[in-house]
Amino acid sequence: MTLRLSIPWRDARAPVLQRKHGSAGSKAVPASAAGSARASGRAARRDQEAGLKRANFGDGPGLPTLLLLPQLLILLFFFFIPSLRALTQSVLLSDPFGNNVQFVWFDNFKSLLASSDYRQSIAVTFWFTVMQNVLTLGSALVLAFATDRIVRGRPAYRTIILLPYAIAPAIAGILWAFLFNPAVGPLAQVLHGFGIAWDPNLNPTDALILVTLAASWKHICYDYIFLVVGLLAVPVSLMEAAAVDGAGPIRRFVSIALPMLGPTIFFLTVMNFIYGFFETFAIIDAVTKGGPAGATNILVYKVFVDGFVNLDLGSSAAQSVLLMSFALICTLLQFRYFDRKVNYGV
Amino acid sequence: MGRKVAFIAALFGALALVGPAQARVEVQWWHAMSGVLGDRLNELVEKFNASQDKYTVVAVAKGNYDEVTNGVIAAYRAKRPPEMVQIAERGYMTMLLSGAIVPVQDLVEQKGYKIDFSDFIKPVASFWSYKGRMSAMPFNSSTPIFWYNKDHFQKAGFDKPADTWQELEKQLYVIKSKGISECGTVLPGDFYWSLLENYSAINNQPYGTLANGFDGLGTEFVYNKTKVVSQVARLKKWLDDGVMQIAGQGFSPEQLFTSGRCSTFANSTASHGNIERNATVNWSATFLPHESDINPPLNSTIGGGAIWVMKGHTPERYEAVAAFLDFVAQPETQVWWHGATGYVPATNRAYALARERGYYKDHPTREIAVLQLSRGTPNESSRGFRFGNFVQTMLAQRQEVEAVFSGQKQPQQAMDDAVKRGNEILRQFEKLNAGKTPENERP
Repeated sequence: MTLRLSIPWRDARAPVLQRKHGSAGSKAVPASAAGSARASGRAARRDQEAGLKRANFGDGPGLPTLLLLPQLLILLFFFFIPSLRALTQSVLLSDPFGNNVQFVWFDNFKSLLASSDYRQSIAVTFWFTVMQNVLTLGSALVLAFATDRIVRGRPAYRTIILLPYAIAPAIAGILWAFLFNPAVGPLAQVLHGFGIAWDPNLNPTDALILVTLAASWKHICYDYIFLVVGLLAVPVSLMEAAAVDGAGPIRRFVSIALPMLGPTIFFLTVMNFIYGFFETFAIIDAVTKGGPAGATNILVYKVFVDGFVNLDLGSSAAQSVLLMSFALICTLLQFRYFDRKVNYGV
Repeated sequence: MGRKVAFIAALFGALALVGPAQARVEVQWWHAMSGVLGDRLNELVEKFNASQDKYTVVAVAKGNYDEVTNGVIAAYRAKRPPEMVQIAERGYMTMLLSGAIVPVQDLVEQKGYKIDFSDFIKPVASFWSYKGRMSAMPFNSSTPIFWYNKDHFQKAGFDKPADTWQELEKQLYVIKSKGISECGTVLPGDFYWSLLENYSAINNQPYGTLANGFDGLGTEFVYNKTKVVSQVARLKKWLDDGVMQIAGQGFSPEQLFTSGRCSTFANSTASHGNIERNATVNWSATFLPHESDINPPLNSTIGGGAIWVMKGHTPERYEAVAAFLDFVAQPETQVWWHGATGYVPATNRAYALARERGYYKDHPTREIAVLQLSRGTPNESSRGFRFGNFVQTMLAQRQEVEAVFSGQKQPQQAMDDAVKRGNEILRQFEKLNAGKTPENERP
């Protein structure tokens, strides 16, 4: 319930609120009911929200502000101030010690966009995030479907599938790097046994595949847990009805469960992109260090190397500003084009 | 938080120990030595602290060189820098022109210590000094040497690795074809240092204009017009023929040598400690090879780190710093450090002392680095390197060499691109530091 309330611009929330007060027993709201509720949602919501505030927070903005303060402070110190500093740094050329600072307008951006190195990094990031997204979501769906079918020992399976999430990304990275090391890695030996000339130290494609696998493996658990919960919310009556009509498990999954998982899958796609953009740094660092020849030098890793190894603070700041814009654009596009196709009615 | 607690605890601990007796002046030294080297460094500091009762040096391990650099930058910007910091050789220009340091020689002389700076081994002195004055105290100086597996060479019918790349290549191919080892050599993680930069110095190939940057910030890379290109082509050929292996991520190149999988390894003399401890094979070492048409070969250049003194501290603390630097420069300290780690003794006097004591009779491979560094008279190609943003240009170059290894580029093309990218980076450094010379402000 709280999760839904935190998205204030959604009309779709109306039926949920209504359900709270009305039909508490049934799990699903029929599509027609949802539609009519949406129409009358606005007026109903205003009343309910007003009631909610009065009931809980007393008069005036004092208490709510106080309660919001910790979160606002965290945002201020860990988001707004750093973002502002990144913005200012991105138009400066400065030595790392900050004793010599020159204002250079947009030179940092210009030289970035002109550099083949940066363009390569954009392309690599694109392929990496898309592949990672498809792989993560695909595997998580298969696993969620499979564990949903299992009755005996389901918790055990779930726990095992969730385990990788508890492993630190750097350790996961080293593990993968070692397993697939062409000289000593056991899995690399298996690949060589099949006649595949696997060598992520030399072959850019192999390296990209390896980091994608490692990053996906690390993130499957996250998608999985959301999908498992999503599947639990699929009305049993619908599934049973379909079964009576002769639909097999796969058909039921594809035609009923999957569309109903729409909001979850959409949310996970957005989260996977953000994960790919920002949180895969440690895996890249441990598995390939961005190599060979920049083949796995994704944007966030390049931000780190240029900032903390090369001490080119202006360029690094410009890159992080651009990266943030890319992530923003990407998320907005997803909301713009896919959000409409998602059915929130369930 | 943790550091604060530790600091307060240390403070109380120190108070309890010293009590009403005179308070020792405490100074911090941030360093990048880990593992065995870190232990040795701590021993060195303890020796200094025990040798007198006025000063206490606190050694703080801050991670690898990059992390130390970032740590000191952050501390400086927060106006709380440590008194001393160990920075790698590639950071020389950044530190020199930072405006955040006190030149070591000025400090030491002002505090009345008589360190004979002319006694430092030439490539060491020239690397760390600006216009004949030492900017930082040479501390852990190394140079790449050529490690080899004795048994492999004997089995193949050779005494030891040949002196020239041409002859060595033949040997490595024989070793490979006879199936004595899986690979003739392993690509070092810092191959750009040992096999390109030091290669250029030894073979008298200029790396950049203006005497490798010694004569000004306007320097440009020129290694795309030198033997470096054929050197890269040679490495690519070895790689394709299976004579050279790349260890890659998740595995260290050194292990491929110490386990006996690869027969040779061009690596720092500072790995003596590790190799002595880890090698399961009958190893030895010799000089880095040179080209057959270059005779005699020149000296190699140094790597490693030096101790920089940061601005912004009280005169009492600088007394402590100067006393410690004087201690580091003592022949006794140098000889001990040399033996404990494999780094070279930085002064001629220390080297003579080690010889005198017969140290090299038992440890012949430890002398190679000193001999290789001090052979001949360093010229413009072998004195060292003065490139700004040298880490960044190196990473760009490494990327281009990797493009050769992966078959995406031809050696000439890759080196042209590396030089082009490197020069853009150099121009940015020049723009930032236009007209600047290191400030010689006295503390």
